[in-house]
Amino acid sequence: MSRAWGRLTLPGKVVFTLVPLLLVLSVALVIVIAVFGGAMLDILVANVGIVRFLVAVTILLLLAPPSAFIIIYMEMKIIALMNLRLGPDRVGPWGTLLSTVHGLKVLMKEDFTPTGADRIVFTWAPIVVFMASVMGALVIPFAPGLIAQDLNVGLLYFFAVGGLSVVGLLMAGWSSYNKYSLLGGLRSAAQMISYEIPLTLSVVGLLILAGTMSLNTIVENQGPWFTDWYVFQQPLGFVIFFIAATAEANRTPFDLTEADSEIVAGFATEYSGMRFGFFFFAEYINVFIMSALLVTLFLGGWQAPFPFPELHIALDPGSLGIWLLLGIAIVPVVATLVLAAPFYLLRSSTPWWQALIAGFLLFNVLAVGAVLGIAYVNFDFVAGILWFMGKTYAFVFVFVWMRGTLPRIRIDQLMGFAWKWLLPASLVNLFVTAAAIVVVGN
Amino acid sequence: MTTDTRRPSADDPRVLLDEEIGVYEQIPPYPPRTEREAEFYTLGDGQMFINMGPQHPSTHGVLRVVLKLDGEKVVDIDPVLGYLHRGVEKLCENADYHQAICYTDPLEYISSLFCEWSPVIAFEKLLDVEVPRRAEYIRVLSAELNRIASHALFMGWFALDLGGLTPILWSFIERDEIVEMLAALTGQRMLFNYFRIGGVNGDLNHEFMSRLGFWMSRATQQIESNLTLLNENELFVRRARGLGTIDSATALRMCMTGPNLRATGLPFDVRRAHPYSIYPELDFDIPTRTEGDVLARYLLRMDEIKQSLRIIDQCLHQMPDGPIMARLPRLLRPRPGRAYAAIEGPRGQYSTYAISDGTDQPFRMRIHDPSFIHLQSVGLLMPGNLVADTMAVMASLDPIMGGVDK
Repeated sequence: MSRAWGRLTLPGKVVFTLVPLLLVLSVALVIVIAVFGGAMLDILVANVGIVRFLVAVTILLLLAPPSAFIIIYMEMKIIALMNLRLGPDRVGPWGTLLSTVHGLKVLMKEDFTPTGADRIVFTWAPIVVFMASVMGALVIPFAPGLIAQDLNVGLLYFFAVGGLSVVGLLMAGWSSYNKYSLLGGLRSAAQMISYEIPLTLSVVGLLILAGTMSLNTIVENQGPWFTDWYVFQQPLGFVIFFIAATAEANRTPFDLTEADSEIVAGFATEYSGMRFGFFFFAEYINVFIMSALLVTLFLGGWQAPFPFPELHIALDPGSLGIWLLLGIAIVPVVATLVLAAPFYLLRSSTPWWQALIAGFLLFNVLAVGAVLGIAYVNFDFVAGILWFMGKTYAFVFVFVWMRGTLPRIRIDQLMGFAWKWLLPASLVNLFVTAAAIVVVGN
Repeated sequence: MTTDTRRPSADDPRVLLDEEIGVYEQIPPYPPRTEREAEFYTLGDGQMFINMGPQHPSTHGVLRVVLKLDGEKVVDIDPVLGYLHRGVEKLCENADYHQAICYTDPLEYISSLFCEWSPVIAFEKLLDVEVPRRAEYIRVLSAELNRIASHALFMGWFALDLGGLTPILWSFIERDEIVEMLAALTGQRMLFNYFRIGGVNGDLNHEFMSRLGFWMSRATQQIESNLTLLNENELFVRRARGLGTIDSATALRMCMTGPNLRATGLPFDVRRAHPYSIYPELDFDIPTRTEGDVLARYLLRMDEIKQSLRIIDQCLHQMPDGPIMARLPRLLRPRPGRAYAAIEGPRGQYSTYAISDGTDQPFRMRIHDPSFIHLQSVGLLMPGNLVADTMAVMASLDPIMGGVDK
């Protein structure tokens, strides 16, 4: 037995270990469900709120790394094009998988703790930063009904959780036993606390208008036309919020905490491996979350810019009878052949199998388009999530664009700008809004 | 059996360490050797040292700077040189006159042609050689191209030190085109080794001229459009204006030359003050600025690019026919004597003092490098600034560590 085991390759060992284990576990699961299924279902139904919350949190945690990957890829590619470079183009189509490979690379690197570091704080700092940015996503409405937890103090919760990340950055800067880290950590503390104030004050005018802190209600108020978006009633608030959000997300021109030409990598100087990866992901998730909040508050969230004419395509496949079966069997084949025909007939150098592949891919694109179109018309949340993601990624693009264009500002200019310009401007915004409401009435 | 006093390593518990790995003591590890060192390495209340370089991302080579900080404010600095020292002057004494030129080549590796030019002129003075006019024109043409490449790179590095990502890549595009055409002319991209005693190594060739013509047709427009990214950027201008200011008297006292001196208002340019080569025949201006700050130094270099383009244009129009090398014996044995030659490099006055003892090797060669001279004024410019600006001030002086450490 042991000789046979020794002859197995590594994948073989993994399969021979995992397959019996999975078999046993599946059988056990089936038995457990068969015996206790009813009781478990009763418990789940009784606590549907908690179950929904747990599911939502799990989904958000699972979706956070992929959305960071997308933004990292966007940043690499867009900045490369702005720099007149090609950018990533090797891994996957147009280099799209490169950020995933970066993530895996970060996982496999050595996780190093420098001598003299405070090990416990050093280990917990990236987790705090990461959780602080992911937890903000809990209250963001992605589409009608697609919100993890519709808190009535959603905005307050968002700012409270967002303020936690400064604790993590300070922990990282202090525990690394490196003066560059310490400078970076202190810079981040000064910067984020200063910009928290205009960030919060700039939305107070909006809160007076909306009369609620629930982000879901704020979005619902901004419809159905794009003229109802709060950006047109609060233009100054929007600008202040955008600037302060850039600073909160530590993005250029406010990326002093990780200014590589000054303090090497700031708070992350001594970090490597996945602990650095957490900082890295947190930064990009922060960009996404800040864009999402900007869109939610000022640009109508998941609302379309104008109401579409009511259109409802009744989908009742059952009524088609035998034709449904025939359609499923015939339509793809015929469509593939029809779409492949031009490739084969109009370009004589194309072999028939390449034409067929092209036709099949084209059919898939059309089919997905059709399914999306039907889903868009029939389901509110599909339309909502498309509009929400479109607007959010437009702002992510703006953040990336700024990084490609602007130089960094100095720490005294940064603080002066927050306290001398943004804070008075947000107070003016608040007073003007309040006065307007008093004069005009609700 | 002795008791095991070793303790497990913090990184790998399986490894047992003989002695406790502690946190290292403050710099420097030795007792201070001078009063200045003793003063610098004594910390005041609330101050700390921070060590920048030689592996810091933006120290322009292998410069190490020890900063004494009060919060983010720089109180005092101590540049530590010598990480790139190769003893070039001594090497030159042990090589014959032709070989000495290629030792001077990598001193300022961004503008190698100027490092060759100064010893070449010095040796020609020792030998009393008349250089053919076509060779002089080719020298000026290629050297001014190299000046543009150097200034373009300066713009990129300077912007990078202020946090801009894009200008460095845009300026590398310009530099790469120049370097490619110089490679077509000289055979190398970086360390050209093109100037010879009595002329140049090769005549203008077709590839060089076609590349140059294509580049000249769009250079002015391209450089202008690159500059708009920085010159019209409020963040950039606000950071650079009023930073690292030096007045002309202090600049003279610190022996500054070149763009750094002209940015304080003194129109001193070796090409006009002590003319050499064919510069008296060429028509160009000497741009000056009066502010003497980082922004002035940056803008002045950008103005010099335009003047260099003018010079290149005139060279192309006035290029005479004729030989490119003077007739010289293969083994050069100048009469005993001394010669001094100064030229205007992209960083300032670059000069060579050569002594001949009648053999085929220079008896002594002293190289005066502007980078080294300019670096001594960082001690004046830095204190009082923030950490963020140290690298910007350093970059605005445009030192090349190859020339500093020689």
